Order: sequence, then structure tokens, then C-alpha cells
Amino acid sequence: MSAVSKPSPKAIFWFLFAAGGTVCAFVLPAMIFITGIGPAIGLFDQSGLSYPSIYGFFSLWIPKLALFGIIFLALWHAAHRLRVCAHDFGIRADSIVALTLYGLATIGTLATIIALLRIG
Amino acid sequence: MSGRKPYKQQLSRTCWFMTSARYKTYMLHEISSIFVTIYTIILIVGLFRLGESREAWEGWLAAVTSPIGIIFHLVAFAFFLIHTTSWFKAVPQATRIMRGEEVLPGNILVGAHYGVFAIVSLFFIVLAAVG
Repeated sequence: MSAVSKPSPKAIFWFLFAAGGTVCAFVLPAMIFITGIGPAIGLFDQSGLSYPSIYGFFSLWIPKLALFGIIFLALWHAAHRLRVCAHDFGIRADSIVALTLYGLATIGTLATIIALLRIG
Repeated sequence: MSGRKPYKQQLSRTCWFMTSARYKTYMLHEISSIFVTIYTIILIVGLFRLGESREAWEGWLAAVTSPIGIIFHLVAFAFFLIHTTSWFKAVPQATRIMRGEEVLPGNILVGAHYGVFAIVSLFFIVLAAVG
């Protein structure tokens, strides 16, 4: 092994996977409880999820940035894990799988930026 | 005639993980990423609807609370909890914190993660409830 190793792009994907996994572990159960389960049992739809309330909230820069960070990391975490998943389900065309999944994560990232900028 | 008996792989390429409880648990973590992906797409659609109009946002909320929406979110919620517990369980293997000469015990590290998890969850829920 040489003393100076070339930096590998793998490190970036691995970092996003690990950072995303940590953020998802902390925030996703509460988030899906609020946006997915709460409204069905009559929670939050009159308060935090009512149109004026949530529109006002995501008009602010800090909530925008926070949500962007969560979605961005969740997307890249899931993309990396799905790549491993594809391998585990017997799909061996790794470069095509990687290109597709990281491509979709890129599209998702850009879509999130556009959607957030259109609010407020 | 050779006495060679080549090894033939008996495992299925697609369901190999069904052979052991350990592998099944592993695949459960991996499959959680499918739900993370779908949930993230639902959120991005919601943000577009929110930017569009009040009616569009309320339409999104109605879709979330439709029978299919409720079933998806309940299953995804279960998978997110599996992700959280399995991720925290692996923390002592991934992180070693030294306190003087001693390694900080794993259960303190995991406990601290659950503590922060509880505070973060409570913060989000209070934020949503206050509006």
C-alpha cells in the first residue's frame, strides 16, 4: 500500500450513506408520524399541517434549509442502500444500478430545491 | 475419470437470506430504504403541492389519509422504527469514545442516542401541534 492513497469517490457516497442513516434514524419516525399518521387520526391537520401554518413555516429560511438537509440525506442514504439491496436480490449490473439510483437521487435533490424555492 | 466433485452453489440468488434469521434481519434493514425512498418522494410531491395552492395542498393531505395512504404510512412507520433501532444498535461498533483510559460503555452510547431521539421526536411533534 502506498503512503499517499488516491481519494476515492466511494468515500463521498459512504459518507452520505452514514450521515443519512443517522439523520433518518433520529427524525424519520417523528416526521412520518406527523405527516402520515397524524392527519388520519385528526392530529395536526388543524394546527401544524393547516395550509396557512405550514406555508408560513416553510416560507422561512431555517425550516427550508433543515428540510432540504433531511430530504437530501435521506435520498442519498436510500440510494446507496438500494444499490446494495439490488446486489442482494441477485442483480449484478452494479454500474447501471448505481448510475440509475444516484441519478434519481440527483433529480430528487434538484426537485426538492425547486419545490422549496417556490414556497413563500 | 477424475474424482473431482465441484462445489455447486445451492443458494438461490434472490431468496438466499431466507435461510437464516440473521440474514432476514439484515434484509429488513436493507428493505427499509425502499420505504425511505417512497416516503421522500411523497414529501417532495407535498412541497410542490404546497407551493401551488391551498387546494393542491389539501388534495395532498386527502391522498395521505386515503386507505392506501394510511396503509403505506403505517408500514413505512414500522420500517423507520426498525431502521432507528438497528442503526442505534450498531453505534458502539462504529464509534469508540475514550474517557481517560476507558472506552465509554456501549449501552451508555446507545442510551444517549435514544435520549436524543426522544427529545428530537418531542420537538417535532410539539412544533406540529402548536402550528
